Amino acid sequence: MKATKPITERIVTQTGEGDLTPPPLAGGAVQHEVLADGVCVLTFDCPGTSANVFNESVLQELDEHLGIIAQDTRVRSLVLRSAKESIFIAGADLHALSASLESSAEPSPGLANFIELGQRVFTHLAALKVPTVAAIHGACVGGGMELAIACDYRIASPDKATKLGFPETQLGILPAWGGCTRLPKLVGLPVALDLILKGKMVPARKALKIGLIDATAPKERLLDLARQWARRGKRPASRKFGVMLTNNAPVARLTLPYVRTRLIRDTYGHYPGVLKALEVTCLGVGSSLENSLQRERDAILELARTEASRNLMRLFFLQERAKKVQAETGFSLRPMPARKPGSKPSKTVDYLPSIKHPAVIGAGVMGAGIAHWLSSRKLPVILRDLNPEAVARGMTTIHKNYEDAVKRHILTRTEARAGYDRIYPVTGNVSLKHTDLVIEAAVEKMDLKKELFRQLAENTGPETILATNTSALSVSEIADATNLPERVVGIHFFNPVHRMQLVEVVVGHHTDPVVLERTVRFVQQIGKLPVVVSDSPGFLVNRILMPYLMEAATLFTMGARIEDIDGAMLEFGMPMGPLRLVDEVGLDVAHHVAETLTLSFADRMNTPGVLKNLLAAGLLGRKSKQGFYRHESKTPRPNEAVAMFQHPNGAEQYSRTDLQRRMVLLMINEAARCLEEEVVTSPEDVDFAMVMGTGFAPFRGGPLRYADSLGLARVVSELQHEMDLGDPYFAPCTLLRSKAASHETFYPQKGVAV
Amino acid sequence: MKTQQLAIVDGVRTPFIKAGTDFAALGAEELGRVAVNALLTRTGLDPALVDEVIFGCVAQPADAANVARVIALRAGIPESVPALTVHRNCASGMEAVTQAYEHMMAGRGEVFIVGGAESMSQVPLMYPQSAAEKFTRLSKAKTLPQKLQAMAGFRPKDFSPRVGLLLGLTDPVCGLNMGQTAEVLARELGISREEQDAFAIESHRKALAATERLQEEITPVYLPGKDPVVKDNGPRADQSPEVLAKLRPIFERGTGTVTAGNSSQVTDGAVALLVMSGEMAEELGYKPLGYLKAYAYSGCDPERMGLGPVFAMDRLEELTGLEIEQADLLEVNEAFAAQVLGVLRAAKSEKFSRKVLGRRTPLGEVTMDKLNVNGGSIALGHPVGATGARLILTALKELERRQGARALVSLCVGGGQGGAVWLERSV
Repeated sequence: MKATKPITERIVTQTGEGDLTPPPLAGGAVQHEVLADGVCVLTFDCPGTSANVFNESVLQELDEHLGIIAQDTRVRSLVLRSAKESIFIAGADLHALSASLESSAEPSPGLANFIELGQRVFTHLAALKVPTVAAIHGACVGGGMELAIACDYRIASPDKATKLGFPETQLGILPAWGGCTRLPKLVGLPVALDLILKGKMVPARKALKIGLIDATAPKERLLDLARQWARRGKRPASRKFGVMLTNNAPVARLTLPYVRTRLIRDTYGHYPGVLKALEVTCLGVGSSLENSLQRERDAILELARTEASRNLMRLFFLQERAKKVQAETGFSLRPMPARKPGSKPSKTVDYLPSIKHPAVIGAGVMGAGIAHWLSSRKLPVILRDLNPEAVARGMTTIHKNYEDAVKRHILTRTEARAGYDRIYPVTGNVSLKHTDLVIEAAVEKMDLKKELFRQLAENTGPETILATNTSALSVSEIADATNLPERVVGIHFFNPVHRMQLVEVVVGHHTDPVVLERTVRFVQQIGKLPVVVSDSPGFLVNRILMPYLMEAATLFTMGARIEDIDGAMLEFGMPMGPLRLVDEVGLDVAHHVAETLTLSFADRMNTPGVLKNLLAAGLLGRKSKQGFYRHESKTPRPNEAVAMFQHPNGAEQYSRTDLQRRMVLLMINEAARCLEEEVVTSPEDVDFAMVMGTGFAPFRGGPLRYADSLGLARVVSELQHEMDLGDPYFAPCTLLRSKAASHETFYPQKGVAV
Repeated sequence: MKTQQLAIVDGVRTPFIKAGTDFAALGAEELGRVAVNALLTRTGLDPALVDEVIFGCVAQPADAANVARVIALRAGIPESVPALTVHRNCASGMEAVTQAYEHMMAGRGEVFIVGGAESMSQVPLMYPQSAAEKFTRLSKAKTLPQKLQAMAGFRPKDFSPRVGLLLGLTDPVCGLNMGQTAEVLARELGISREEQDAFAIESHRKALAATERLQEEITPVYLPGKDPVVKDNGPRADQSPEVLAKLRPIFERGTGTVTAGNSSQVTDGAVALLVMSGEMAEELGYKPLGYLKAYAYSGCDPERMGLGPVFAMDRLEELTGLEIEQADLLEVNEAFAAQVLGVLRAAKSEKFSRKVLGRRTPLGEVTMDKLNVNGGSIALGHPVGATGARLILTALKELERRQGARALVSLCVGGGQGGAVWLERSV
């Protein structure tokens, strides 16, 4: 039951214009009205969901409506819109799409049909004799955007919810319902390539600027504006100079190799979707509609076969899961009941109150980053440190973050100021009784943290969650210092907080399930992606990352060149080489985490001396402008000065392939160990956390997924090979060995031809 | 008749900073926001409990009309809580407190955030009226010739600004500048330049000696990319009779006695106080700094506005029967050294009491060991809309330190008024 229909709809019904409306078709995802002035309005409203998506039946239903409209002589123009609150059309039904990808090694004929159907329907839409307008409010994504660009005009609300774009290449595929073909005609080839290849969503204001839409109006006025645009008649071909200049075959032919070279340089050719999209879009310029659509179809069927697109699609679903699903902990976790504003909470459901008054202890880089993020998510947040100077540094960081957001058009100046106003800076011991969550981000010293938590436990209310942002210390040990260890949990943010979506929620030995549930929800509430991990040294991400970073340092000590070590991993698909990453994190932090892990896993880990050497020499990485690199210009250069810490005669011992193999093997081995020791419960958790937390080559799906694709027997034998060469820390873990022996994989094998 | 008490639970202020220095870029609304933000954190009050926000501000910013509302919203007070700005010139910050009392007594709420905020750095320069009229004509001109004609009407003097600060400190009724009213008192009551300078030196000395005590009521102000501003910058260690003697009188050239050195400083700052009914304070578990016992405002001759406190204290004695000598502490705002000395003289003068106040006996004698013991506006500065609230806060904190029973706080008010309140430490 929809209690509040848009006003315009109600007016239509009241004036009796609804009489002209044909009876609804089966499926009922599209409402069809013809208004008195001959404006036909198709309203997308997929039943039983808050999103409109295109699956086969919706496309067919739309096609039938288009057929009726083509025959209906009363219809002078067509307006497409959505009845949903924050979504116009979210694109193709990805579940349907991925099911057809997962079901077999070969894409099913279903996929080919699905693609063809979409192309046909949108071609029908484009071919209508009457002017067509897409009136967009809310997310207009992928297939939704392809629908919109098949219309004559696009108008949109300047709302925050309105975002437009083609994210297909992010999933390893490409816009194949005419997107690659029609977009350059509308906005010109360079803009089209930018939208398709980067896959970024743009707000209405930007969309208007680049010509993706024609006008904006508040959502209540979209229909009025659509009428005005429809009166202009069918859209003439673009006469914009820029579009004409770039939209011809010679330019497109020249553009193709130029952009391709750049893409391959930046991505090492790891993303076939991007390359295909480039090719199809460029070749589409100057060729016939039929040929170009054929190219789109061929390309998507080819891409659907690639491991990369499956991995990217899987990660997309894991992200969606992390946003919604609560049940990773094994506790029965009820979803929060949806409440209308103003209504009282239902008494029958014992829902958990959301976090409203958080406090952050420590105004260093992490503390300030966390406080900034919480305040930007509309939470008032107390930021406490020992003295005004420390708080001032934190406030400066926060202010800078907000300034950057304004510069990058993420926030308006007013929004940024409101966010900054939400910080409540304080020095000294104020009462925290009314806070519901305290996040400690103080110095990583166990004694200090124990004392702090002892005080916090006394100085807070009985329901206050006490969280530590420690990256390496034991949450349980900290908890044991308090009289209420069940209230203590770990919330491990990654640096920089506003950029890193992953948050590790660490369960201590005594952490209460309700505390855990509230914490997971809090992480989701602030727009981060939680992964629940058990309390063990390094938790999940740092634990897997450190052996890799330590190995990079070890290889460096043995004489491998910085460019080769980092280059090898860039080629693998990491966003940043390991030595560069150490520099960014800071040698002090990296050394501290390495030491913590070394203490716990002395059998296989040993902090490379070079870390200590650099530290002692004051080379802290980016923060001191020198580490493995010199950070003087924008692009850091390898620091020749650190060659003194290298073994003199070791150079050229390893090829890049060797380097890569050793570093990746250690990550896989440690990832498997985390699963073996139940730091997390599923391979999905490991892979998701590594991709989101470290940028582990997404197209490879994560370390365990990648291990599966290599074959576990091969992984084990390569590990053993390194071990036999004299490095015992390569010994494959039990889980890897047993799985390899019994020909198992981490992920279930679905219909993969063996 | 209710016998409710208004409890002053706690308070906090920004450092008081000389205009044109560290806070030059901050408006009154920003200063007020910082004070309320810190007050909420210190008291741990749930902002949803607040019934109303009342702030005093004299030079209300043009870009933050009803500055109290702007302060409230930006400090995180819920939208549903109303806010109003009050104006009684130099007593605006005191007015905010007494209005809260009145609202409480009228049954319009129990919990109030009150205070005062003033940016004297940002009092604007204004176009003369003649220029404003010509700008209006220009904006109405439609055709090019009309526009040119309108532009040709401007004269250089249209662009010489009217200094808002000077206008604000000039009484439009009697035509005297505030400093000139102080000169009137100095002349009529025979207060010498030396006396005034000595008083000013004392103010600085006491303020410097109280630096640490005053720190209790101050919250640091964080300016992005700069060092935190943690303390008042008005008090000077280098004030001596010789130094002050060098300054020239500014309000009466040649023969005058009032100088920049023996007047209050032009200052930016804000104060926020949490006040509520005594019952509510008890219910929420607060230990209030003290209670508002009684208050009075009174009018007087605008040309002698500096004597306002005498009239207000006279009325207050009428209301309460409490004599000024019963105060453990006294705060008489130091608008001008001449004016405070004038108040003291008038208070103990039998002639003044009989002829002007119509009393049989004088108000009483104020001993210096009780007066403005932590310095006054000459040293700390006088952000006009905020000072009234600061005096109450400073007095209550000192009363607690001294374990005293009651304090009397008063100010003179431009335009010819005085305000005075009795504060008590226990109900």
